[in-house]
Amino acid sequence: MNREWLPAAMLRAASLIAPGVQRAEWFREWRTELFYVPRNEAVQFCLGAFQDAAWLRKNRETTESGLLHPVSPMRCLATMAVLSAVSLLAASLLPARDLAPYWQLRMRDLLTGCVVMLPMSSLVLLAARLAMGGPAGPAVVSWRSRNRSGLYFLLKVILAQPLMLCGMVLMLRAGTAPLAPLSVGASWILLFRWILLDQRRRCPVCLRPLTHPVRIGTPSETFLEWYGAESMCERGHGLMHVPEAETSFGKREWLKLDSSWSGLFAGATEEKLR
Amino acid sequence: MSGGPGLSHTAAMILQAISAGYVYGYTVMEVTGLPSGTVYPALRRMERDELIVSHWERQSAADAALRPARKYYGITRRGINSLDAARKRYPLLGKLTPAREAQQA
Repeated sequence: MNREWLPAAMLRAASLIAPGVQRAEWFREWRTELFYVPRNEAVQFCLGAFQDAAWLRKNRETTESGLLHPVSPMRCLATMAVLSAVSLLAASLLPARDLAPYWQLRMRDLLTGCVVMLPMSSLVLLAARLAMGGPAGPAVVSWRSRNRSGLYFLLKVILAQPLMLCGMVLMLRAGTAPLAPLSVGASWILLFRWILLDQRRRCPVCLRPLTHPVRIGTPSETFLEWYGAESMCERGHGLMHVPEAETSFGKREWLKLDSSWSGLFAGATEEKLR
Repeated sequence: MSGGPGLSHTAAMILQAISAGYVYGYTVMEVTGLPSGTVYPALRRMERDELIVSHWERQSAADAALRPARKYYGITRRGINSLDAARKRYPLLGKLTPAREAQQA
């Protein structure tokens, strides 16, 4: 039986464990190494690929990812969806207090409440977004990317509604009179803040978090020269310049990188291979 | 694994192998006798801790030799210091890996 396909299949399967941004380079290294391994040892050699990929995944997760900063936009939305579902279940299943039986809300009531809250939240977020400034470099980002970014923002706002409403219900049930409304207000503000900041920390093209921030310039040059931080997209889509103090002549700016830069980014290679 | 005294015996063996000129993953495996599931994660850990650095061979050099481009590992100054400390801790370390001329990177 010809088993030459097996090591390659094992490497391909193990590559799914490796983090997406590093997957292409990881796979390339293992495939290269496999070239030098005798055929009768290839399967045993490839078993180690699973351990290596798992190490890479674990190491990356502990250093770069977290509940508040999920790497991919899909993962972020999935996390929010799970949290929303759990909060809806918790709020609908908890027994009502004797003094306030109207707090016993059914799932349908909660969902209706979310729909009612959505326009209000949207208005607040829209006002905050306008106050913070529009998206950086709208002229250099394609309409498709802008639509995707807008959709991601909208989905986050929608998924935040059950968290806000159920959080309010749970806090009002559990808390005492002056503390509970304050906690509700504070948690809503923090959630709004996270939604806006998460949007600003992502690449406007692929929506993955911008990484490797570096300081550019010196604080004494805030007036006549540019001073701030520069972050980059791991997939090589561009660089985000964020000034230390936003002025009329110094705003957040997105510098688009063309495909000639892709060789410098591991993530760009991964994207090409897809 | 940040300093010399904290280097495990396995990591010290791998570092010793790289120092002796076994500069890519499979040769490190061969000379140390360690399995791939130990060697490659250890290489990544040591690279993260800046004991070693890696770089890809130029594609033209690999094409000339009719083989895929290799990823080479090299020991850093910090790695040399850690290895010196590990040699004091494991005196037979140097005898485990025969010296080999460093391959062209």
